[in-house]
Amino acid sequence: MPKISVPTALRQYIGGETTVDVQGDKIGEALNSLTAQYPELKKHLFDAEGRLRNFVNIYVNDEDIRYQQREDTPIKESDEISIIPSIAGGVTAENRIKEAVLPELNNDEIARYSRHLIMPEVGMEGQRKLKSASILLIGAGGLGSPLGLYLAAAGIGRLGLVDFDVVDHSNLQRQVLHGTKDVGRPKLHSAKDRLADINPHVQIDTYELALRSDNALKIVREYDVIIDGTDNFQTRYLANDASVLEGKPNVYGSIFRFDGQASVFYPKAGGPCYRCLYPEPPPPGLVPSCAEGGVLGILPGIIGVIQATEAIKLIIGQGETLIGRLLLFDALKMRFKELKLRRNPECPLCGENPTIKELIDYDQFCGITPPAAQPQAAEISDWEITPAQLKERLDLGERVTIIDVREPHEWQIANLENYGSRLIPLGQFGDRVNELNPEDEIVVHCKMGGRSAKAYEVMKKAGFKKIKNLKGGILAWADQVDRGMPKY
Amino acid sequence: MSIKLAADHIEAINRHGEEAYPEECGGLLLGILEDGVRVIREVLPLHNIRKDSRHNRVELDPLDYARAEREAAKRGLGVWGYYHSHPNHPAVPSRFDLEHAPFTEWSYIIVSVLEGKAADVRAWTLREDRSQFDEETL
Repeated sequence: MPKISVPTALRQYIGGETTVDVQGDKIGEALNSLTAQYPELKKHLFDAEGRLRNFVNIYVNDEDIRYQQREDTPIKESDEISIIPSIAGGVTAENRIKEAVLPELNNDEIARYSRHLIMPEVGMEGQRKLKSASILLIGAGGLGSPLGLYLAAAGIGRLGLVDFDVVDHSNLQRQVLHGTKDVGRPKLHSAKDRLADINPHVQIDTYELALRSDNALKIVREYDVIIDGTDNFQTRYLANDASVLEGKPNVYGSIFRFDGQASVFYPKAGGPCYRCLYPEPPPPGLVPSCAEGGVLGILPGIIGVIQATEAIKLIIGQGETLIGRLLLFDALKMRFKELKLRRNPECPLCGENPTIKELIDYDQFCGITPPAAQPQAAEISDWEITPAQLKERLDLGERVTIIDVREPHEWQIANLENYGSRLIPLGQFGDRVNELNPEDEIVVHCKMGGRSAKAYEVMKKAGFKKIKNLKGGILAWADQVDRGMPKY
Repeated sequence: MSIKLAADHIEAINRHGEEAYPEECGGLLLGILEDGVRVIREVLPLHNIRKDSRHNRVELDPLDYARAEREAAKRGLGVWGYYHSHPNHPAVPSRFDLEHAPFTEWSYIIVSVLEGKAADVRAWTLREDRSQFDEETL
């Protein structure tokens, strides 16, 4: 017969024994058998509605039934069933002895935030905490848009925005902070206009610069919560390292095509950091950016709003945050998954013997050549050809075989078919390179020049000599040769 | 019901509270029930398993609790209460404490730690109808 062990405090209701023999094949039956023998126990284990009280955990061996099949969890003769209280405590902020002085809310603000104020989890105190809080948004793009909109609306006292980009037509499909009339304006200008309109009570401080090792700590230091809405690995590691070094929570989100991720990195509160999850960046070019791979416009809305939710929970001190959990979202399957993240004791940043104690060179760390070290735009390596040079040769009637290594759906947007271009997607390129004649003059291109550089390498290895890579890809062609060509 | 706690037990609770400051900490009280008095024989400091809000929340590992029960039983003791710290707050149960107190048969010890120094230790017990705590004399 299975046995249930009962905690000390409840043994007086079972005649001072430590365990009770019970009957049943499932936990629910075993508990019924227990309370049938000792009815006094019932009110201690179950609430008035007959549900297990929130502090009662039932373990089968070392496993909580909540993570198995709850009351339907099967039990065997030999299983050890234990009733274990969950034990938690904590101060409530109302009776704090030394409390930082929280700002008052005026009548306008009380009216504005009333749906927050009537929930005890936020209330006046939580709303005043939001007002006293400051959040730094790194990036005013896809993720930064919903973040900015909702955090401003929620009444965060001070929002800092870092971005140096200009609004482009291709941003409007997802960057809902900016409108059609803003195309060509600095993103921070349109962001500031929009956020001030949503909530004039919010102080908005803008930093029109690229976050770098020499300015990041100074900016991060001024804020309570850091939110990473970046689209490149250099800035992501920089944001992580600066947050850890300054002891700030870093609310992370990333998006690509139909997939998104979110977490909260906060080693000071016992959680892991981004480096615990990804110790090294991927080799440059391996992971495509959204500009190369695309992104569903709605996706940053979902992930950004999750990040905003986490930031608010961190500030008002409510609920369970994503510290130590990585949330994965698949928009096509419409599924959320969750992974446990553990702090890596060997982490060079937040581990037991950290070796990174100041910010490093993130371009170098990510294997990116900084722009200054690159050849001038006018310069051209001998393996490349500019759109203007290609056009000139075509106009002279030279026979040039143009190979487009993009995907078929990109071909449909814009292509060089008029010049006899052929499509061989990069994924098939290795297998199909023998379709090409090494005697021909061949120019390969893609959207921006990255994928075609790989195709170039494949041909070079296969012994091709008369090959060139179109510098800047079809986008450069659209800018420099065919202004009527659509850009994407 | 009342509780009997020796000076060195209080000292152990104070020390744990100071070490964990500014975070909260907690542990179990092992002892026996003697003529309706919870006589504490041992203070067992445990880990705070909360990942977030550690400055105002403490949570003990249920498996630590199960181990403590097993070990205590071997020595003829039982778990008769738990203690936790309130950094920069009085040694008075909060609403959160009330909502999370498991047993009406236990003693609940709270140590107030102000600016890193243990300032006050008080003991409480949960009323039968779970509506509030009543103070016990230490």
